[in-house]
Amino acid sequence: MNALDVRDLRKQFGAVEALRGVSFSVAPGEVFGYLGPNGAGKTTTLRILLGLVRPSAGSASLFGIDSAAPASRADIGFLPGDLRLYGDMTGDATLDFFARFRPARPPTLRPMLMDALNIDAATLARRVKFLSHGTRQKLGLIVAMQHDPALLLLDEPTNGLDPLVQHAFRGLIAGFAARGRSVLFSSHVLSEVEAVCKRVAILRQGEIVALETIEHLREKVVRKLTARFRGEVPPGLREAAGVTRGEVRGREAMLWVQGDPNAVLRALAAAHVEDLVFPEPELEDIFLAYYQPERRDA
Amino acid sequence: MLNIARRQLERSWIFLLACALVLGGFEFLLCAMVASVDVEGAFGEMTKFAPPVFRAMIEQTLMGGSPAAVLAFGWNHPVAHALLSAVAITLPARAIAGEVENGAIELVLAQPVSRAQYFGAHVLFGLCALSAVLAAGLLGTAVGQRVFSLNAFGAGRLAELFLNALLLQLAIYGLTLLASAFGREAGRVALFGVLVAVLSYLVNAIAILWSKAAFLKPYSLHGYFEPREILVQGHLAAGSTLVLAAVAAAAIGLALIRLSRRDLP
Repeated sequence: MNALDVRDLRKQFGAVEALRGVSFSVAPGEVFGYLGPNGAGKTTTLRILLGLVRPSAGSASLFGIDSAAPASRADIGFLPGDLRLYGDMTGDATLDFFARFRPARPPTLRPMLMDALNIDAATLARRVKFLSHGTRQKLGLIVAMQHDPALLLLDEPTNGLDPLVQHAFRGLIAGFAARGRSVLFSSHVLSEVEAVCKRVAILRQGEIVALETIEHLREKVVRKLTARFRGEVPPGLREAAGVTRGEVRGREAMLWVQGDPNAVLRALAAAHVEDLVFPEPELEDIFLAYYQPERRDA
Repeated sequence: MLNIARRQLERSWIFLLACALVLGGFEFLLCAMVASVDVEGAFGEMTKFAPPVFRAMIEQTLMGGSPAAVLAFGWNHPVAHALLSAVAITLPARAIAGEVENGAIELVLAQPVSRAQYFGAHVLFGLCALSAVLAAGLLGTAVGQRVFSLNAFGAGRLAELFLNALLLQLAIYGLTLLASAFGREAGRVALFGVLVAVLSYLVNAIAILWSKAAFLKPYSLHGYFEPREILVQGHLAAGSTLVLAAVAAAAIGLALIRLSRRDLP
């Protein structure tokens, strides 16, 4: 049985169609990326999965139970994208408050999570309203994970976390997956999804435009590489395997590389490169790579 | 459910304790005033020089200035209404609209708790909180009677007053909760609750003072609150109980239906 199933999910908010027939599933032990720009419908999907929003059509279930039923949430952990906790509660009281909703699932992972996320007892003794944004986000992660749920639903979980904690968080997710737990990781940043997920759905304007493994995604994505040379731009760069397009401006070459970049890197290594920029692809680049080749070529 | 109710208690106990102490103290002081002042004489002096409209009001509310009538007036005093209605408005305004506004409802309802359980926990807490504050006020009256040897009425009448006052406040609570189930901001919902309570009080006052407006009395919730009839005449009208209970039940029921169907947050 899948941890999560979404079938032809639709949601209409007045005249706005937030979801247009979204379907995907998450298998046990799978870390699934749910990518999309802001406003694509990621949070709406999660809210339907949590029974907070009623779908206009289609179905959503957790462990085979309709997501509207509270029983479907018995063994899940959730971190909202816009985390709001009770400001007057201390960190400890917050963790205890949410733990009490599952008396059969004690918060066994709390000490390990506190250690991994570098949050100490003195910090938890303070009221939430006095904690920094990053510390509140850590607290939210502990709320979501402390009872070792079978399914984690995380909406932009690395918001406000410093790079060291982000690294620790990735380790935690890997640990969850290794124990057979499933994770739905919603984000608008490709690189962080790429680091932890095996499969990814890309959502745009309420529709899934790609449902791929990370390997497939990497092969299809076109990334822009900019190289500046000490001398002339060497000839033949455009002919390197994977280069779909190239432009030369003075001593600078811009190359659009699809899939494996090794061939073009070898070609560059033969010349004297002064500077090299090879940024992560933007989500919009991925959409173009998948569905609007005519715009890319133009 | 108990987890949510416990959270409400942790959040509101200072406010509730303050309301309870002030109401209990107010009713106790009223007993002290009745015991230390010649109320009937003072009543005579007041009515002698008062304009006819105010004379009618004083006669209506104080029933000749007997200790029981003055103590009953204490329960219809704006201070008593304000303290009880503050509880009856604040709690439901926070329960749904307030939680939507502060965003916490998203994480709470993502736990294995149904909306009906969430709603039930808030209503249960509201009922207990209103009962406790009201009981503190009645305790003030009872202790005041004992301390100042007033013996104006017995515990049975206080129990009837408790029921009548609780139902009035539950009706206001229910209407505010209904607004809260539709709302997203606690402040606006609370404002609606205050308007309901103030309008109801004023309509009742106008209906009592102005004979031509007497037809308005059934349209005011406060028209069904009868401390004078209960404490002085020893009579609680079943109709009043039924009307207030029906308004409270209908409003709370509709609020539950609305909460069950709305998208959150």
